[in-house]
Amino acid sequence: MVDPITALIFAGLSAAVLVVLFLPKKGIAARLRRSKLDSKRVLIEDALKHIYDCEYNKSHSSINSVAGNLNISTDAAAKLISRLEEMGLVVSETSSINLTAEGRSYALRVIRIHRVWEKYLSEETGVSEMDWHDEAEIKEHTLTIDEANDIAKRLNNPLFDPHGDPIPSSTGQLPKKIGIPISDLKTGEFAHIIHLEDEPNSIYAQILAMGLYPGMQVRMISASNERVVFEANSEEKVLTPLFAQNISVQPTAETAKVYEDFKLLSSLNKGEEASVLGISKACRGKQRRRLMDLGFVPGTKISTLMKSIGGDPIAFQLRGTTIALRKSQADLIFIK
Amino acid sequence: MNKNETINSSSREAIIASANSMRWEVGEDFHDTLMESIYSDAAEIAAKTVTKTDEKQIYHWDQKIDRIVTSKLLGFPIMFLLLALVFWLTVEGANVPSAFLASILIDTIHPILKSASAGIGVPWWIDGVLIDGAYLAMAWVISVMLPPMAIFFPLFTLLEDFGYLPRVAFNMDNLFRRAGAHGKQALTMSMGFGCNAAGVIATRIIDSPRERIIAIITNNFSLCNGRWPTQILIASIFIGAVVPSHLAGLVSAGAVVAIALFGIFLSLVVSWGLSKSVLKGEVSAFSLELPPYRPPRILQTLYTSLIDRTIFVLWRAIVFAVPAGIVIWLVGNIYIGDLSIGEHFINWSNPFGLLLGLNGVILLAYIIAIPANEIVIPTILMLTVMSAGMVGVGEGSGVMFELDSAADTAKILEAGGWTLLTGINLMLFSLLHNPCSTTIYTIYKETKSAKWTLISTLLPVAMGFALTFLVAQIWYLFAA
Repeated sequence: MVDPITALIFAGLSAAVLVVLFLPKKGIAARLRRSKLDSKRVLIEDALKHIYDCEYNKSHSSINSVAGNLNISTDAAAKLISRLEEMGLVVSETSSINLTAEGRSYALRVIRIHRVWEKYLSEETGVSEMDWHDEAEIKEHTLTIDEANDIAKRLNNPLFDPHGDPIPSSTGQLPKKIGIPISDLKTGEFAHIIHLEDEPNSIYAQILAMGLYPGMQVRMISASNERVVFEANSEEKVLTPLFAQNISVQPTAETAKVYEDFKLLSSLNKGEEASVLGISKACRGKQRRRLMDLGFVPGTKISTLMKSIGGDPIAFQLRGTTIALRKSQADLIFIK
Repeated sequence: MNKNETINSSSREAIIASANSMRWEVGEDFHDTLMESIYSDAAEIAAKTVTKTDEKQIYHWDQKIDRIVTSKLLGFPIMFLLLALVFWLTVEGANVPSAFLASILIDTIHPILKSASAGIGVPWWIDGVLIDGAYLAMAWVISVMLPPMAIFFPLFTLLEDFGYLPRVAFNMDNLFRRAGAHGKQALTMSMGFGCNAAGVIATRIIDSPRERIIAIITNNFSLCNGRWPTQILIASIFIGAVVPSHLAGLVSAGAVVAIALFGIFLSLVVSWGLSKSVLKGEVSAFSLELPPYRPPRILQTLYTSLIDRTIFVLWRAIVFAVPAGIVIWLVGNIYIGDLSIGEHFINWSNPFGLLLGLNGVILLAYIIAIPANEIVIPTILMLTVMSAGMVGVGEGSGVMFELDSAADTAKILEAGGWTLLTGINLMLFSLLHNPCSTTIYTIYKETKSAKWTLISTLLPVAMGFALTFLVAQIWYLFAA
């Protein structure tokens, strides 16, 4: 018979070993899976992406910017650039590094895979918003362009990734950059958020925490050098100019759909009636299709019937049926 | 010809190119717009052509009932009372028909078959494999499983048909949402108390993929109909014995309820863990329709619940029980050297069993009685008598049996070296072990995924090993 203390210690140790092996992200198994990535290929592709980004944003890329973006030393970046030149992907000049036609199409393929995968994660899986970018950063180096094209086809050839970035077409076309930083809006002007920059992660996380998403309607209240104040979802949001740089908007002066005085479905009290204005863009994929199938479309009359014992879920009556939704979903439906 | 083709292909490319660039301008909202226009067209047509009779009255009644069954004051008491009533009717109602079926299938037909086969001179091993093995396992499964299921499923379906069950999901969703699960899991869990295979099938009502897999994997934590008798028997023998006799009934019943509640607790904890780990990438979409109440269609309910659920599950159980019966008989009757292979396995696995506060007999019984939890106790009794070399009890090697009195059963188990710890850990292990093979097969059929089937099978048994190990070692620590 084994001594109980020995047995317990042994069991504790085996449990610890299992944790070290299989902890998500930091465990040995997860590290092994990541280390299988071809690190040379990753560097090449990330450098091309960066140089393309600079070209798209009309700024200049240099050995220093490559080193900074890829988090490598300047020496390593210089070596990497000369390797890219040998491969015929870039041409290095004194003031900047320029892509060759071949380099540009390679960069666009990588970007297409990245953005298609983000779109896939947002539409077809339950992976949380914070993880889309990181997962796509890995997937862009392992998925082939054919696999990405197949996924895009299944998703009905999406045009934009969930951050609002356009997805390069399979032939490598990309529209010109549109949109302005949110701080450039005039006071009282309506606009739609078209893009949230997902890098760096810390700023992106705070933008997400404020409940902002591409497609959201905003109205400028005031912008100064210290702070940018705007209205979104009938709430006042305040940003520092640094954060505001990461949010691009398109003014909606001409488009007809300006929602004024809207409320969220979750704020509708028991017994009150309203009509649906629309479903927020933050509600995606299966959940969005389900809500539309159930009749949550503009113009539908809706009333709150009863609340569950803890106040969540809430039962609504629409089109002669009773549907219960959780509060987090009712927050994504606009009513008037 | 050639010229035409070039024009065609170049103009085709131009069209495609302009279509591509136009797609950027149109944007992605057109899917939504399309859906909206379909709805508004349908509404327009309906407004012209459909005449409505006065529905106010019906709504009025629905809302009155809803106000009561979802109220803060009465919502939960009504739910617990109704579910308790269903369980009580099942347990009480099943006793008589179960005993009746057992007396026919096991006490009457089995001896008749034995004497008939002896009469025509069937070789002993054919007689053993077919009658003591296959037939007896099947008879056992039918007599223990059929009556409770034939009562439980129709009652449950009646509540469903009336429209009450969605309200239970509505009441319970708050709790289950915190565990990362769907409110309807409260229903599949309750169904699991009748039978886990049926509970797994019932998860079809959960239309969100992630929450459905959670409900499937955790269904096994509902103590099913096949495990209640084991719990009650072991609790009355071992737990009831440590308290004064006038409290024995109450305390052992309390112990069984505690195990069932512990199962519910675990199913919530595991749901939470799954939704945060292996399942976090699965799609999740919530909506819960609360259909209008309607008078239950009793005959139709009886028919569908008997055919779709009871007979369906029973048939699957029989299909798995027959080969298991054969294996059980063979384990007791194939000899290597002086000992049967069952005894070899018991001797070999006994040290491991003791580490878990169980023994080799229990481990072997849980392996060979995998088709149905109903035959675990008869198998344990047979194996105990066989491995302890007892004379004068039981029906012979490889023949499962059960005794009418708990006191006699206790004598056999104590002779087999069982203690209070063995009793407690058997109760825990009975809650936390792999689902029966009928359920495993059903999980595979429902998920079509080897991965989820494997997780649903191995997760509970791993938890069972860990928990019984901890209990046993801490017990030894303090007993020493």
